[in-house]
Amino acid sequence: MLLSGLTTPLDVLALETWAPGTARQVLAAEPSGASAPVADGARAVLRLANISLSFGGLAALRDIDLDVAEGEIRAVIGPNGAGKSSLLNVVSGLYRPDQGEVWFGDHAFRQVPTAQLARHGVARTFQNLALFKGLSVFDNVLMGLAHRVRAGFIRQVVGTPLARRIEAENRAAAEDVIGFLHLQEVRDRIAGTLPYGLQKRVELARALVARPRLLLLDEPFAGVTLSEKQELAQHVRGARDCYGTTIVLIEHDIGIVMDLSDHIAVLDYGRKIADGPPAEIRANQAVIDAYLGVAHEDETELAI
Amino acid sequence: MTVITETASAPARSTWLTANVAGLVLLLLLGYGLVPLIGSDYLMDAVLTPFLALALAAVGLNVLTGYAGQVSLGSAAFLAVGAYAAYNLNLRLPGLPLLANLVLAGGIAAAVGIVFGLPSLRLRGFYLAVSTLAAQFFVQWALTKFGWFSNDNASGVIDAPVIRIGSLTFSSATGRYVFSLTTVAIATALTARLLASQTGRNFIAVRDHEVAAKVIGVPLLRTKLLAFGVSSFLIGVAGVLWAFAYLRTVEPAGFNLDRSFQILFIIIIGGLASLRGAFIGAAFIVVFPLLLSRLGAAVLGSLFDSGVLEMSQRIVIGALIIAFLIAEPRGLVALIDRAVAATRRFRSTRS
Repeated sequence: MLLSGLTTPLDVLALETWAPGTARQVLAAEPSGASAPVADGARAVLRLANISLSFGGLAALRDIDLDVAEGEIRAVIGPNGAGKSSLLNVVSGLYRPDQGEVWFGDHAFRQVPTAQLARHGVARTFQNLALFKGLSVFDNVLMGLAHRVRAGFIRQVVGTPLARRIEAENRAAAEDVIGFLHLQEVRDRIAGTLPYGLQKRVELARALVARPRLLLLDEPFAGVTLSEKQELAQHVRGARDCYGTTIVLIEHDIGIVMDLSDHIAVLDYGRKIADGPPAEIRANQAVIDAYLGVAHEDETELAI
Repeated sequence: MTVITETASAPARSTWLTANVAGLVLLLLLGYGLVPLIGSDYLMDAVLTPFLALALAAVGLNVLTGYAGQVSLGSAAFLAVGAYAAYNLNLRLPGLPLLANLVLAGGIAAAVGIVFGLPSLRLRGFYLAVSTLAAQFFVQWALTKFGWFSNDNASGVIDAPVIRIGSLTFSSATGRYVFSLTTVAIATALTARLLASQTGRNFIAVRDHEVAAKVIGVPLLRTKLLAFGVSSFLIGVAGVLWAFAYLRTVEPAGFNLDRSFQILFIIIIGGLASLRGAFIGAAFIVVFPLLLSRLGAAVLGSLFDSGVLEMSQRIVIGALIIAFLIAEPRGLVALIDRAVAATRRFRSTRS
């Protein structure tokens, strides 16, 4: 039994009350013939099984398998249009794959319920900044904990003990992350008025404040200066080291991720062409070809 | 690393805060103390009471449009729902105290607002604005078509009862003004609290980046409908004030599309996503025609009749809207803030 640990009636019931709709998805996903999650050693925090996605006739992702172990930094790289962002959008539930499943720990989904993402311990950033431009930096970070506010709006207005306790906890957590990412200087500034590199860092803070188990970063280094790049890379590594967050990051630039990642998966034309430690990727002929576009014997096959 | 040096330090922030509180207390003292003492009946009846009702309606629309980013052209419909609901509650449940009536009427307006807010889950921007027009036309039609709402008055006109709380009656111009001021002050204070809470942050998050808000776990459906509900509640209460405290005789035609636009203009001119903006904009909309008619009469004499006044008023307000949308989308409140900051800088450089 693949999911025997999960699909006891009690677990399903608990899951259904905790996150309505997900248990059904878990059950529905089970008999589809996917292999069990990695049983050996470190448990996969994120597992993609046989994901395919197409837009009309255009295949964006083809049969992608990916296992991300707990506590690792996994880069997904590839040339423009290789399907990196599509992959992240499948993981965060913005796209529904044509086939395959996404696993968070023991939970499998055909389509990840985006609204439940935070509750599954998953946070993400966006390629083009997705800050709430009208809120202060502090309030932006606080928004990362929106899913924790269980008190209804009347309780919030009245200020009942529950509402006040949650607010105080969230504020403390937000202060913590703001300190961690050295954002105290701009704490009360309106987010939309900050320079781009700082906004990127605020977005990272917003994603980190809930202490996610899995953090998805969509091109965190795009459009920032070299020094900001190095600084951001330090923060990403710091997030893993201090908070134990597993990180999957999409990146266009192969250089920056070589030092940062534990493993690198390479996509090209929607296929995974390589997956391994940086040293291995650096030497991989298929990767070099994909990036440099060297004419090869089988070029016609790739171009299909 | 980019270091930002312009941030306000903590003590500066607290003095700014106390200045705000002091200003608020001063305004309330003025409103409760000085105005009823020295103000004329004309001032309270024809200027301040409609100003308060419109300001509350603008606060309501600002919650929805300014904070939560959902454009609505149905404000007048919710004013009408509030007014007619309060009238019918008063008529059909004679024992109901007025305060309960006020809250219930707001609640009914909120329920209607939530129903007409349902399209916001699929539509946004211009398309949502057009769909809220449905509320505008439907409510006005229903109030005229079904005599029950106006107790079978042939033209749909209702005569509002005298405002009475316990043994206190608020029938004089001063009484109605004080009643309006109290209602608006309490409603605005509660709204300010709501907007400072997580719910208020959720509103802005939905406005600024819906996808990011969804990923973070903001319940989009609930947040948008809550914005519609709170907004319509406030506008409904404003409708009660409009009917009971200001006009005292209202008809459905008084809550037409022009009124919806007027409230929208108030928040555009005053300042989107600002409670102060709602009040400043309402003051402008109420006072501006009076100033214009005085000015027109002084300059043009008898040529400046009421027709010319109305036309010139529309022209000037239309031009102002365009000017604000282009030059200062944050409205009068941003201009005032900038002026205050400039004088403060000027003073600090001189000292």
